[in-house]
Amino acid sequence: MSKLADLFYKNSLETPRKTSIWCDKKSLTYVEMADLVSKYSNLLITSGIKYGDHIAIPMNNSIESVALFFSAAELGICLVPLNPTLPLEAIKSAMHFGDMKHLIARKSFFNELDKNGGLEIPGVSICLDGDYPGTVPFSMIDGMSSVRPKIENITGNESLILTMTSGSTGNPKPIDISQKNKYDRSMAHIRVYGITKDDRILAATPLYHTLAERLVILPLILGATAILLPRFTPALWLKCVEEQKPTFTIAVSVQLAQILEHMKHTESPDITSFRSIVSSSALLEEKVKLELIEKLRCEFHEMYGTSETSTITNICFQKTPYKQKSVGLPFDEAKIRILRDDNNTDFDTDCAPYEIGEIACMSSLICKGYYKHDAMMAALTIDGYFRTGDLGYLDEDGYLYFTGRKKEIIITGAVNVYPNDIDTVVGRMPEIEECAAFSYPDNRLGEVVALAIVPKAEFEINLRTVKTYCARNLADFQQPHKIFIIDQLPKNAMGKLQRMSILSHIKKMGLDT
Amino acid sequence: MKNVKEFILDYLQREYTIPDDIDILSLNYIESGYIDSLAMIQFIATLEDEFNITFTDDDLVNPDIKVVGKLIKLVESKLNK
Repeated sequence: MSKLADLFYKNSLETPRKTSIWCDKKSLTYVEMADLVSKYSNLLITSGIKYGDHIAIPMNNSIESVALFFSAAELGICLVPLNPTLPLEAIKSAMHFGDMKHLIARKSFFNELDKNGGLEIPGVSICLDGDYPGTVPFSMIDGMSSVRPKIENITGNESLILTMTSGSTGNPKPIDISQKNKYDRSMAHIRVYGITKDDRILAATPLYHTLAERLVILPLILGATAILLPRFTPALWLKCVEEQKPTFTIAVSVQLAQILEHMKHTESPDITSFRSIVSSSALLEEKVKLELIEKLRCEFHEMYGTSETSTITNICFQKTPYKQKSVGLPFDEAKIRILRDDNNTDFDTDCAPYEIGEIACMSSLICKGYYKHDAMMAALTIDGYFRTGDLGYLDEDGYLYFTGRKKEIIITGAVNVYPNDIDTVVGRMPEIEECAAFSYPDNRLGEVVALAIVPKAEFEINLRTVKTYCARNLADFQQPHKIFIIDQLPKNAMGKLQRMSILSHIKKMGLDT
Repeated sequence: MKNVKEFILDYLQREYTIPDDIDILSLNYIESGYIDSLAMIQFIATLEDEFNITFTDDDLVNPDIKVVGKLIKLVESKLNK
């Protein structure tokens, strides 16, 4: 297998003057980026970080973050990118479950940690912006050698990235991704979307998500150009496209809908540089797709996948106009089964065409597993097929159709939110008897987080108090957009919460106005 | 307690440093992406905690609250009451 750092350095030798990456008004050629990666690797080595160590990083979208991916691949180090808006409790939980030894963060993050009782970092702390007591300043990188360190014995099967799946509490299932996974996934996407060295590939989602990681690693191992948007707003995206002229991107569908909406209400630049755009996370309405195609004048794809499996299927709107509601055919690397739910115990029978069941996938792109949760991965795998927790069906031609979710998860603006995390945190409010977060449909974000609360008999609950409590104790993506106060939560005869029934329960009671 | 301007600027720059060539006081921090609209409620709660003030519902719907200089003035005016 080719290793990510080897491929990148090879490109820096072949096309040293070519732009490797642009982010926030700054760009680096391949040779400049190679210098940065080497210096970063040497900084990590000098700081005492070793093969197999885990580094936590509240990650922003920057050229330095991208360089760190390649340094980590070079040294056999595992990164645990964190959402910087996570509350401290979630950071502590992620650090514990991800076995993190070192921390790379901005000054404000260290400050926040210290203000809230601190956090023991067994290894090294590196401060990205200036000096902070007890940390190594990132500026030391300037004094580092730009000679690529000689590292042997890297197999490529080491964990490169642990993606945290659970937000704030409980027991997160870190998705364990090796550089071999990243390489295989990049190669599959290069083939399916015909990506070449001439492409300028735009990443406009946060780097702590697997999608943006792929969109910056792929161009640098291919010899193309990565364009990394530091922060997403529709206006910033349009300005970046106008100036940087990307030719390919994978965007989340919510972003595309927001961009189109923005273009309708403002005078927008001519943005016709794309040859191909892929929409991920949720199907766009046909009307939205047609309007986007008219404005962008390029090939339009939609894909389906999960963080564990990477992309499973793809469909091109223009090439397959008669399958508009489908998410497409599987990649060559993947095979799909639709499993019938027989009395909730046996998943081994296949559904007939058009019969809805659980989507299961066997793919060579699947992650290494859940870090330290082998049994959990095994429990979700039947005869080599990973149960996605999504529901769908196949038609007679093998095209997949997504119909909903089996698992209790809320996907808001393409971010996975685990309702249990919210229940646990909000349930600690003294005024609350019990509560449950649930999915609520939303035109802009697809779904938003809603919260049903049963107050204790002796308390009168104030919605503003609940909102403020949530603001202080939950991450931004976990904030409830709607809060309902009810007498009791819907439960089955065994007393188990029926989360999927909360919305209909609330509607029945006439509370959803 | 930190000074209001310093506190707000530090908070806005938790993830990204605001470039020197930007007029910070007239910056709309939501439109420029320094705070996600979802994270606004956390920002407001943090300001309420830090300065022991309360924003009214009218404050929250006024677009001025999204402009750095106007937000600083609003917090300072609450502190002087």
